[in-house]
Amino acid sequence: MATLTIDGREVTVEPGTTVIEAVRRLGADVPHYCWHPGLSVAGNCRICLVEVEGMPTVQISCNLGVRDGMVVHTQSEKARQARQDVMELLLINHPLDCPICDQAGECKLQEYSFDFGTDGSRFDFPKVHKPKHVRFSEKVVFDAERCILCTRCVRFLDEVAGKDELDIINRGDRNEIAVARGDELTSDYQMNIVDVCPVGALTSTDFRFKSRVWFLKQTRSVCAGCSRGCNVTVGSRWNRVLRLVPAENQAVNKWWMCDDGRFTYRDVGADDRLGAPMVRKNGRLVEVSWDEALAAAAEGLGNAGKDLTAVVSARLTNEELHLAQTILDHVGAGERGYRARDFAKDDMLRTGDGNPNAAGAELMGLTPFTTDLPGAKHVFLCGDGVEQNEDLSSAAFVLVADCRESQTILEFATVVLPSVTAFEKRGSFTNVDGRIQRVEPSVRAPGSALEDWKLLGRLLAKLTGDAAPTSADSVLKSMGATRPAFEGLSLGRLGPLGKSTATATAAANGEAQ
Amino acid sequence: MAYVKVKRRELTFAERMYLPAILKGLSHTFKHFVGAGGRAGVTMQYPEEKWELPNFYRGVPALVKDEDGREKCVACSLCEFVCPPRAISIIPQEIEGVVEKAPEVFDIDMLRCIFCGYCEEVCPEEAIFMSKEYEICGTSREELVYGKSKLYEIGLTLGDDGGVTDATKKWERLAREQSEQGVDTHQGADTE
Ligand code: SF4
Ligand code: SF4
Ligand code: SF4
Ligand code: SF4
Repeated sequence: MATLTIDGREVTVEPGTTVIEAVRRLGADVPHYCWHPGLSVAGNCRICLVEVEGMPTVQISCNLGVRDGMVVHTQSEKARQARQDVMELLLINHPLDCPICDQAGECKLQEYSFDFGTDGSRFDFPKVHKPKHVRFSEKVVFDAERCILCTRCVRFLDEVAGKDELDIINRGDRNEIAVARGDELTSDYQMNIVDVCPVGALTSTDFRFKSRVWFLKQTRSVCAGCSRGCNVTVGSRWNRVLRLVPAENQAVNKWWMCDDGRFTYRDVGADDRLGAPMVRKNGRLVEVSWDEALAAAAEGLGNAGKDLTAVVSARLTNEELHLAQTILDHVGAGERGYRARDFAKDDMLRTGDGNPNAAGAELMGLTPFTTDLPGAKHVFLCGDGVEQNEDLSSAAFVLVADCRESQTILEFATVVLPSVTAFEKRGSFTNVDGRIQRVEPSVRAPGSALEDWKLLGRLLAKLTGDAAPTSADSVLKSMGATRPAFEGLSLGRLGPLGKSTATATAAANGEAQ
Repeated sequence: MAYVKVKRRELTFAERMYLPAILKGLSHTFKHFVGAGGRAGVTMQYPEEKWELPNFYRGVPALVKDEDGREKCVACSLCEFVCPPRAISIIPQEIEGVVEKAPEVFDIDMLRCIFCGYCEEVCPEEAIFMSKEYEICGTSREELVYGKSKLYEIGLTLGDDGGVTDATKKWERLAREQSEQGVDTHQGADTE
């Protein structure tokens, strides 16, 4: 162990730790561009300079190993002056692009300029110009003038994504990042380079110019793309989701997420969202009040009894799955299960299971669905009425609770209860490792669509005559009594990083409960 | 707090009569009455006649284009951010060329605008100015949300570039430097 003094505070760390890590251990930070906790040390941006007693010059803290008895000053006049000089060099050829640069507002160059830059330029010559608006792929656009050549993007693709496709070409002030192997970027994780880029050199074509980042409402939630459940920050504005970026969670996705996951928000603004409950009258679906629709649904379920075949989506939250199971138990439904959904698997994050809450469904006692729906007499499609277009013409009663219109709904549904996407509700998902994580709403649902837990709760209340649950949290708190995996949990207690319970983890690992 | 007792002044006899004061006032009225016969009159014949406004007057904020007719606004949304009553709404779009970005929608809700001039002050491109336009009327709320075309129309009253020419040279200079250095700044996928 090495004990060192940083700005007058003592800290003890393992040998091999770098000074910047030791500083961060204290809850402080040193300015940095090229250093990233998830990447190798490059030591090229030089902004993390600190003063170390006994050393003749300022040192870069990202590549300086700690030594016992070391005395480090991160805020001394010498260190600040050194950083100011580095800033001046970095900005010599930097364009005045802030008004048209998407990074503005979350740009480290802006932040550190504000902290210790100078307010003018001493450079009298024309700036060196480089290519702007270079297409690295369909998803990523590059601006060489804004790039500070920190190589975070190069290192991410090489070290984390395993695709060594970017490199620095040319020499001196003509240095620029380019796709050096192949025609364009091919990684399924390439959009992470937009996030790691400390400046606005890499921008996402999807989010480009949609909105300034300071207008975005930022909501921490969980990606519903697959059963990994990467933590995300959802950026929304005008009641529209505009982007998803990964949120750090060392137990799940570290700092990253896959590109497909980022596009899962597109369902939210789909044209075919359902906004009003409907009941089929004389062969046509007509909009009715919630009360009428729920009464019709409850009546149909009651009549069906054990003849009911129910498909419960494993995209629903734990609370919703619990309510759905309670309804099905009450009715005495015979066939029930969830449908498996494929999703390309890889050895990084993508699990291959497109159901974000498959583990939760298993914990509730649901298993993958095996029977054929065609031929069933009474059908309940709970959150699963969109993708499969089966022929349900022989069914006398088809209840659908889902958020989008589909052929199945238009042709066969008897009662339609409009529900919401994962971006519009609160609840929890159990991920592939049995970690229970919180989902938060970022936008409002269209029309009078209801969160699935609310809709199922009211349906259950109609069937039993009890009071409907008032929040997803109250469902989670009460279900612990019968479902040990959720015992003692509440949405608040899950915190931003989620929680693993012994039962849930054991179940996820395939061990007997 | 200490109290100070103020002694009221005793009124003179004439003041207590109050008639002299009335006569003094009436004489003023009479002077104007007679004077109006000689001069054009004290009432300005608005709207046929209009005020000469001072240059610092802050009327409707308006957008301006540069000498080449190019939109100066790059949709940076700083004015939208700074506007205290949130009167401005902008939806940016991508365009071809050095500037890359321009507003697709630029609305100012004139029912909200308080003519503070912050938008003019914050604009990094000198694209928005307070005009001398003060006649804001309409028959519906929608009509008073001024869109891009209306804002540019008002901007024309400020002259070609809002009276500021230097700022617009920024993009011109950039384009010139880029071509001198032989850099193609707007290219496709083939970077090698
Ligand atoms: S593009 Fe961004 S991440 Fe890559 S080297 Fe340049 S500044 Fe660094
Ligand atoms: S790996 Fe799965 S959970 Fe993570 S971002 Fe991709 S789809 Fe979403
Ligand atoms: S003048 Fe003030 S209130 Fe009016 S648009 Fe500009 S910033 Fe907003
Ligand atoms: S501040 Fe100027 S450039 Fe930016 S959006 Fe407003 S008018 Fe346009």
